[in-house]
Amino acid sequence: MAYFLRRLAFFVLTLWAAVTLNFLLPRLQPGDPARSILSRLGQNRSITPEQVKAIRLMLGIPNENLLLQYWHYLGSLAHGNFGLSYSNFPAPVSHLILQKLPWTLVLVGVTQIIAFVVGTVLGAFAAWRRNSRFDSVVSLTSTFIGTLPFFWIALLLLYVFSFVLGWLPNTGGYGGPPIQPGLNTLFLESAIYHSVLPAVAILITAPIGWIMGMRNTMVQTLGEDYIRLAWAKGLRSRRIALRYGARNAILPSVTGFAIALGAILGGQLLIEQIFNYPGLGNLMFQALSDRDYPLIQALFLFNTVCVLLANLLADVLYGVLDPRVRRGGSS
Amino acid sequence: MLLEVEHLSVDYAPKNGAAVHAVRDVSLSIAEGEFVGLLGESGSGKSTLGTAILRLTERPGKITTGSIRFDDRDITNANAGELRKIRWNEMSTVFQSSMNSLNPVATVEAQFRDVIEEHTALRGKAVHQRAAELLELVSIEESFLRFYPHELSGGMKQRVALAMALALDPRLVVLDEPTTGLDVVVARSILDNVRRLQRELGFAVLFISHDIGTVLESADRVLIMYAGQLVESQPANGMLRDPMHPYAKGMLGSYADPRNETIRITYIPGRPPSLLAPPIGCPFAPRCPEVIERCHTDAPEFLPLAGATVACHVARDQRTSGTATTTGFAGPVFVKTGASTASGDADVVLRVENVEKTYTTRRGMHQSTVAAVRDVSFALRRGQVTALVGQSGSGKTTLARMITGVERPDAGSIHFGQTAIHQLGRRGVRSYRRHVQMVFQDPFAALNPNRTVGYALSRPLRNYRRLSTSAAAAEAAALLQTVGLTPPEEYLGKYPHQLSGGQRQRVVVARALAPDPEMIIADEPVSMLDVSIRAEILELLDRLIRSRELTILYITHDLLSARMLADEVLVLQGGRLVESGPALQVIQAPTDAYTVTLLNAIPNPQARIAG
Amino acid sequence: MSDSTPQTSAPAGPIVAGLTPAQPESVPAHPVRARWVPLWFAVLWANGKARVGIVMLVGFVAVAVFAPVIEPHDPQSQSFDASLGVSGSNLLGTTAQGQDILSLLIRGTRTSLIVGLLGGVFSTLIAMLIGMVAGYLQGWVDEILSFFINLALVIPVLPLMVTIAAYSPVRGISLIIFIIAITGWAWGARLKRSQIITLRTRDYVTAARFAGDGAIRIIFREIMPNMTSLVVAGFMGSATAAIAAEAGLEFLGLGDPTTISWGTMLFWAEQGSAMLTGAWIWLLAPGIALALLITSLTLINFGVDALSNPHLRGD
Repeated sequence: MAYFLRRLAFFVLTLWAAVTLNFLLPRLQPGDPARSILSRLGQNRSITPEQVKAIRLMLGIPNENLLLQYWHYLGSLAHGNFGLSYSNFPAPVSHLILQKLPWTLVLVGVTQIIAFVVGTVLGAFAAWRRNSRFDSVVSLTSTFIGTLPFFWIALLLLYVFSFVLGWLPNTGGYGGPPIQPGLNTLFLESAIYHSVLPAVAILITAPIGWIMGMRNTMVQTLGEDYIRLAWAKGLRSRRIALRYGARNAILPSVTGFAIALGAILGGQLLIEQIFNYPGLGNLMFQALSDRDYPLIQALFLFNTVCVLLANLLADVLYGVLDPRVRRGGSS
Repeated sequence: MLLEVEHLSVDYAPKNGAAVHAVRDVSLSIAEGEFVGLLGESGSGKSTLGTAILRLTERPGKITTGSIRFDDRDITNANAGELRKIRWNEMSTVFQSSMNSLNPVATVEAQFRDVIEEHTALRGKAVHQRAAELLELVSIEESFLRFYPHELSGGMKQRVALAMALALDPRLVVLDEPTTGLDVVVARSILDNVRRLQRELGFAVLFISHDIGTVLESADRVLIMYAGQLVESQPANGMLRDPMHPYAKGMLGSYADPRNETIRITYIPGRPPSLLAPPIGCPFAPRCPEVIERCHTDAPEFLPLAGATVACHVARDQRTSGTATTTGFAGPVFVKTGASTASGDADVVLRVENVEKTYTTRRGMHQSTVAAVRDVSFALRRGQVTALVGQSGSGKTTLARMITGVERPDAGSIHFGQTAIHQLGRRGVRSYRRHVQMVFQDPFAALNPNRTVGYALSRPLRNYRRLSTSAAAAEAAALLQTVGLTPPEEYLGKYPHQLSGGQRQRVVVARALAPDPEMIIADEPVSMLDVSIRAEILELLDRLIRSRELTILYITHDLLSARMLADEVLVLQGGRLVESGPALQVIQAPTDAYTVTLLNAIPNPQARIAG
Repeated sequence: MSDSTPQTSAPAGPIVAGLTPAQPESVPAHPVRARWVPLWFAVLWANGKARVGIVMLVGFVAVAVFAPVIEPHDPQSQSFDASLGVSGSNLLGTTAQGQDILSLLIRGTRTSLIVGLLGGVFSTLIAMLIGMVAGYLQGWVDEILSFFINLALVIPVLPLMVTIAAYSPVRGISLIIFIIAITGWAWGARLKRSQIITLRTRDYVTAARFAGDGAIRIIFREIMPNMTSLVVAGFMGSATAAIAAEAGLEFLGLGDPTTISWGTMLFWAEQGSAMLTGAWIWLLAPGIALALLITSLTLINFGVDALSNPHLRGD
């Protein structure tokens, strides 16, 4: 019980820290952040009064007390007011995010879960048959693929399968008009067709970490004494491998997943940029080139909150899986 | 014969290194219902032998020659499928108690269920019943079935492991150091359980251990291993009366009953040979006090002799030619008589009065308090050794930390001469440390593996005695000489991993002597050393005390070494001092019930041949 | 007598100490050989994979150092015809701006190595400072620092980098190194912290205090030497991550697009529609170069792994 409360406390504290970081980042620039942003914007285009208003809304009045600004900022966050995007003025930022969220969610959700499962299974198997042909092939291939920059692999895939062979589309989440987004078969077919390349790119590289991590942990676990005793008991290999080996070895991978989530979201950004996939990563990138600061801020916060939630979930899961954590100490 | 091992050899052959011949040409047999003890020290190969018999040898270990027959079936090369028929059903095991032998993520019941469902037709509730029955055999309540291993104490885990080993009524149980590291009283109860169950259920036992007293007390027959080979095999009674191999004599000589008036314990100087290259001739020859010319050139064979089986030229010669046989070990002896060396009017060096210490641990929301030390008072006198006897959790470590200034007592006072130790600030503690030093338990953790012996010795010499580099080097050499490491120049540049455990402890003692302290706190200094060499360190300490008038607080759980060194004995239980007095008096005539329990837990093998 | 000793007797010197179980009495005393290379290097060299990695790395360093001499043309000159394939004067062809790909590749080695080195060094230093202070001092200092470590672990790195880059008035290599350093230290800090917590309770540390040594001396002379393998492994990991991160950031255009690096080559390849024009060498070459450099570090890491974790030694 105490364990879970502690994790919750960490979640709240980190959330506060992320929010504060978001608040501080633009204000770390010397001078009035709003003015410097406005001047940079004004270099390439004219600024509408609405945009000025949006920026002031986000960054506050100059020379206003910092703590007061912070208080206003926290207040508006609590009301779910993340500001208005000014590249898509006057659309509220939250609206934009929610619109693009399902794309990212589906792609990341499906592929990363598959990657985790496939990776840990392969890794466990490789450890079980340590130094065998299977192990060598799996380990070497994984290590090799792991050295290649994964966005480069995505580029190559795009080049070969879309430009050269023309089998798969090279841009977008779906075919565009006349296909209407919604729960119709035409749209779903098109969406799946467009997600194949990004998904394959992810599925090639994402399992690598899980394979090597699980393999190494499992090798260590298999050296433990309770495994020796399990053999002495005459239990079957499969039972030893699963109930005694993998069941213990998977614990670090669970925490690892939570920690890796930050990297996963980062990778997602690269994928979406390369394939022009209409998800949150692409949105952030667009926002970057448009200098849409409210959107950038909100996306950063959103990313962080997702990672925190996933961490909390992973911690809870770990507590469920490892009795030493939820029921402490010896009598 | 239930188990027959013939000419078995096991090697460890790592990819990038020379092969270690851990077990060499071992032949033994165990009959139905026989309790066989396998005695050996570190490096003897006894655990490797046990593992090989269980067919659990893992890479890079490998059985190179020989055969193992269980119930007339050759299992030397059997695969997992074939072995499954006899594993646990007929041959089961209990590992060393410090090991992690229970699956941490499964409840106790689940671990029983695993093995019961694999080998029998029992399912469901019947399994739960059977598990509860088994736990009852070792006096554990049924409710513990739903606990996880980490929620049990070390002793309980071992009892669970024992119950589990008996789950399928096996014919042979291999116990590999089952009580090492456990509380003396707990260890006694586990052994009593083993013997009782063995008599009731009739299984054979292979009991692998380095604990001479326990093995000699319980076993029907005793095997002794040295440098990977069997050197002697005798019925226990015969071994007690007439050990034949000089190593056996040395082993038996290093064990004595602390309750005797006069105690003589021997030690065997030197170290076992390296197992990288099998020595020519008898492996024990370099250390043997009875060695003859032939021992260096001819390896003796393990052959029958007068009711036993021995691998020794000397023993054979003595018995076949009729010359007198020697039962005692002809090597160095450390003697302690009943005469008291304590003088009650020596100066008090350290006075501990009504000291208390409580620890509160916070785990998340709730706190738990542990009273580590409760109202303890005693005094240490100049030139005297006071033994602080207690098991883990008794508070002895906490007391040591308070006396050395590492922690402060919550109540009470500690005075070193006129200085109030319990009130010292950081600088005060630093200058106090000049007068009190520590000798640690683990010779492998007490010296920095990345620093030479010379460096370790130089620190206190530079810090406390302000010696220059050259003066410090000379003094370091002198210290090494004092502790018997000669020639000292050879040792100054060595790293810890190049020294044996006994040598390391000598360095630790030398380092403790460096600032010329008045008081030394020795925390279990010999418990991690092999039994046959302990007396050597004890004798060294004894000599140093006499020559330098040192005051020593000797912390231990072992009453034999307490008796050998101490003038006064204090018994600690649960943070309280339950008994104190002159050593011989406390041991021969204890007044407190706990002390009585402690003494009763000491094995008494001589009882079987007495009368 | 082979250089390395078998598993069951004395371990290979001070490096793997602290991991030894109760040792047998039968340890033979052998003399310490005088070494003119540090022990950890010798152990690394003995490992086959690590040796290949070291050779490769030395090759890359040589190319970077001698780049102005080796490169066939000035990498920045746009004088060639655009989008040429393999030809006599341009062995790997040219970019859409008319720059020689081979020269760009050679000169780009410098950027990756510098970022790898500096990013790795800074990350490791920060990790050591925070991890070791937290682990040694414990108490409330540890609580606060641990919170920051966990915070740094949780914050998603690339979005943070994008956000910082968005606000930063300057772009370029220094910004990238800065970002890598302040985001990449957390994992290493955590490892070093737990290592120090284990080591500080060792008897020899207590003994050093009893011998009168002060805290600074203890940290540097007693504890640090036992952490070498962890620190080296940490540096290798950080350097690898830094190189990969730099490539990714440049590719996204978050760096200065005029820098010559493998990442920016890929950025321009994408901008210049290399895929449409079929300029596959432009696309392939920088990626392969990155892969090879990272491979060399990974190979060296195998040797470092074996140094600190005896379980993974091939047996």
